[in-house]
Amino acid sequence: MMDSITRKAGIAAVAAFGVVLVSSASYSIVSAQGLPEGFKKGDLAPEPSAEMIEAGKRVYFTKCVWCHGVDGAGDGPGADRLWPRPRNFNQGTFKIRHTASGELPLFDAKKPIPGQNDLFETVTHGLPGSAMPSWEGILTEEQRLQVLSFVTTQLVKDRKFTDKQSETQTVLQLAELKAKPATDESKKRGGELVVEKKCVECHGMEGRGDGNAFNLKDDWGFSIQPADWHKCWNFRGSRQDPYNVGNIFRTFSTGVNGTPMPSFADNTTVDERWDIANFVNSLCERDALGNPLPIDPLTDKPKINFVVPSDLVEGEIPTDMEHEVWKKAPKRYVAMGGQITHKPRNFVNRIDDIWVRSLYNDKSIVYLLEWDDRTKSVAEGKLPWAPTQVNIDVKEQDPKTGEEGSIAAHQNNYTVYNDAIAIETAVKWKELPAPIKPRYLFGSNDQFPVDIVKWEADGSLRAFKGTGWDKDFEERDNYEESMKLLKGEWKDGRWYVMIQRPVGNKKDQDYDEDTFFEVGQYIPTVFFAWDGHNGDAGRKMAVSAFFYTFMNPPIPKETYIYPAVIAVGVVLLEGWVLTRRANKKRGKTL
Amino acid sequence: MKALMSLGALVGVIGILLLGGMIFNVVPSTTVRLVEGYMPMQMLFELTCFVAGFAGLSYMMNAMGMPFPRFWQGIGFWAFILLYLKYRVYPPIPFSVRAMYGTVSLVAVFMWVSASEEDWKKFKQPIMNVLDAQGGMNKLLRYAYLVLLPILIGGFSYNAMVPKSEEPIELRTVHPAPPASTKVHGKTYTLQTSQNPYRVNQEGKYDQDYTNANIVEQGMGRLMKPNANPWDDKNKGYLKYVREGGEIFFQNCHFCHGDNLNGRGLHAFAFNPIPANFTDPGTIAQLQETFIFWRVSKGGIGLPNEGFPWASVMPPWEQHLTVDEIWKVILFEYWHTGYYPRTWD
Repeated sequence: MMDSITRKAGIAAVAAFGVVLVSSASYSIVSAQGLPEGFKKGDLAPEPSAEMIEAGKRVYFTKCVWCHGVDGAGDGPGADRLWPRPRNFNQGTFKIRHTASGELPLFDAKKPIPGQNDLFETVTHGLPGSAMPSWEGILTEEQRLQVLSFVTTQLVKDRKFTDKQSETQTVLQLAELKAKPATDESKKRGGELVVEKKCVECHGMEGRGDGNAFNLKDDWGFSIQPADWHKCWNFRGSRQDPYNVGNIFRTFSTGVNGTPMPSFADNTTVDERWDIANFVNSLCERDALGNPLPIDPLTDKPKINFVVPSDLVEGEIPTDMEHEVWKKAPKRYVAMGGQITHKPRNFVNRIDDIWVRSLYNDKSIVYLLEWDDRTKSVAEGKLPWAPTQVNIDVKEQDPKTGEEGSIAAHQNNYTVYNDAIAIETAVKWKELPAPIKPRYLFGSNDQFPVDIVKWEADGSLRAFKGTGWDKDFEERDNYEESMKLLKGEWKDGRWYVMIQRPVGNKKDQDYDEDTFFEVGQYIPTVFFAWDGHNGDAGRKMAVSAFFYTFMNPPIPKETYIYPAVIAVGVVLLEGWVLTRRANKKRGKTL
Repeated sequence: MKALMSLGALVGVIGILLLGGMIFNVVPSTTVRLVEGYMPMQMLFELTCFVAGFAGLSYMMNAMGMPFPRFWQGIGFWAFILLYLKYRVYPPIPFSVRAMYGTVSLVAVFMWVSASEEDWKKFKQPIMNVLDAQGGMNKLLRYAYLVLLPILIGGFSYNAMVPKSEEPIELRTVHPAPPASTKVHGKTYTLQTSQNPYRVNQEGKYDQDYTNANIVEQGMGRLMKPNANPWDDKNKGYLKYVREGGEIFFQNCHFCHGDNLNGRGLHAFAFNPIPANFTDPGTIAQLQETFIFWRVSKGGIGLPNEGFPWASVMPPWEQHLTVDEIWKVILFEYWHTGYYPRTWD
């Protein structure tokens, strides 16, 4: 008995040693071929059938041509107002791949398998942060393969997916590489590696994409910005699964073709790459408990809660963000879109979210606003218009300009104005029947105006009255003395602004101009943001939907009393039912 | 019969397992997608399947000698419907609407269990048993209820009374009544009589049959008809204007309404409500072309009060586009979604 166990153990040990031997042998073979760790040679896929290509042409000219253009040069009718511009297919340069840097992506018209068909996955999941949507549920699997057959054979002109002479496929074996657990140690090492490997030179010290924000260009000469690691749902390669560390590992291993992002496969081991991926993944915004944010399947962005709760603080509201009451205050994700209702429309808004917290005491309410902005922008000299002016001379992008005049070509070439943020609240909101609010863009009219508190990067904090989208603001001079800027700081690609304003009461404030904040009421609130380096000024800005500021009331006494009364009532009711039933059984009726 | 019933039983079990998985987040609720635009039909179909499945399940258990009491069947089925509405359907149905469906299904369950005197007796027997508390088990249950019910009800009322900051529900009229006429770029258009000047055949004559014959094919993908490519340079009439409308759409509208006109454009995630989905049969397919013309020209700011104007960021397009461009965009939207505009007759 004993004997057989030792023998089994012996065999197991030999087998294990053998596995180690074989694997190290295969490793050395791989190295001999000059392949980076984690990669294997792959075969070029066969050419798609002529029927597939022909069918794909029909898909292309129904759905894709509008942005990617007749010849696939990324110059369709929609292109000039987009940044990033639609992909120019002609060169065969594709960003998200499992193949080594510079190689064509994986595409096989017969294999719609995740991990083995890069282009299919791109069309299926879209490229978040760009105008490319997810086509799943819109085009069938077959139709997606058809259109890709057309694109890869007819529109990729400089290279050929089946040319064995010039093309190779060195494929990252992501499915076989087991992810390293995201331990603190692994993340710490990753944090050191991103400095050592110079990732932070472009992505910034905190990974907000603010490192080398001006000078980066893609292969076509257009400005391109490094990814903000705190917004993983905007990663082009996030494949509708943004908190999946494998996506980061893949991008880091293969690089992003056509951009300054190189592949790090040659100078990092697989182990190091997992550490870096774990670290980068850990930076993505999470909730208070450290869990991934819930992603809304309708938008592929974090789910939005439209109520900004404000907690009561006894005494002074602390100005230190690290204070316990601020850490406890719930943080809200405020999604920002471009203002594309009135001229000048902002087709490219570089601020796409703000994080808002709020606290109040008996006199004032404080908003803490944080948002990522790769550049701190303060206008040089005096602005050519008054702070109250709304109708200012900022031009919107023309629809058809050609590449040179396109919105992508303008990036980082705008006259720099001030970064700014504003909180707009409804005045006299109680007089409006519940769901009706003043218009989101600077109020409806004189009868239902809005109260606008605007901070600018030059350090100014002003209050205005807005009476319509095309009406210049009215100044409220003595109000500004009652407001206070508690913080206004830009650090490593993020603004931190803390604004204090009075909650308002009928004695010393103007009911016709100032929003009165009442505890336990939903106060319609809109946020505006301007990025000075995007040439944002006046109506060229980012806007949010209507949110509600809600000042959480202290719990009233009744909340404890009534349930107790109700419970006692239920006990009495039970007694009555039981007695009645017992009497009935005994033949008595009450 | 037996085979049919066991098939039904299988469906029932799978349904319960799937729903359980969705509740505990093991199975994502998007596993079987609710197809945009066909949601109500799909839900009704699924629920019908479940009812059939449960009937089979109950029959099988009877046959196997493990009958499931009518009392628990009723309660179980009602709970199933409530959970189905809460966890299966995405985007989530507001509580007030679910409460309405819940009440209706409760009434239905009561009608079912009280269909005959005998059924009703069977249904209320377990309740009576607990009230009478003859056996030991029932006695225990009675005391448990005596203590638990007040605690639970007290707890619920406390929960209901604690101040909460939940998003207020705002139901909005999606298609408010249009005016009789609208004035765009100085010209008045009577909605009843105006026509899209670009809905013309190759000879340039207004022709609804011709244009309706050349929209994309309905069905998955909604692809263009093989011989009706708007990008063909030889096009005259309708298809030429569709292409021009598409160019305007992709320079102006897709930012919100999306590359596939499904309301999921680049900026859509920031808006509440998210922009209109034209591929849904409840939007442009329900409306006359002139209604769209009015909505597009006047935008959110031009909505009447019941449309809650200020919740819409829809631009008044007369500020950005000419009348001709607006008509062409409308033409394109119907072409691309494969719907016909409603007509007055």
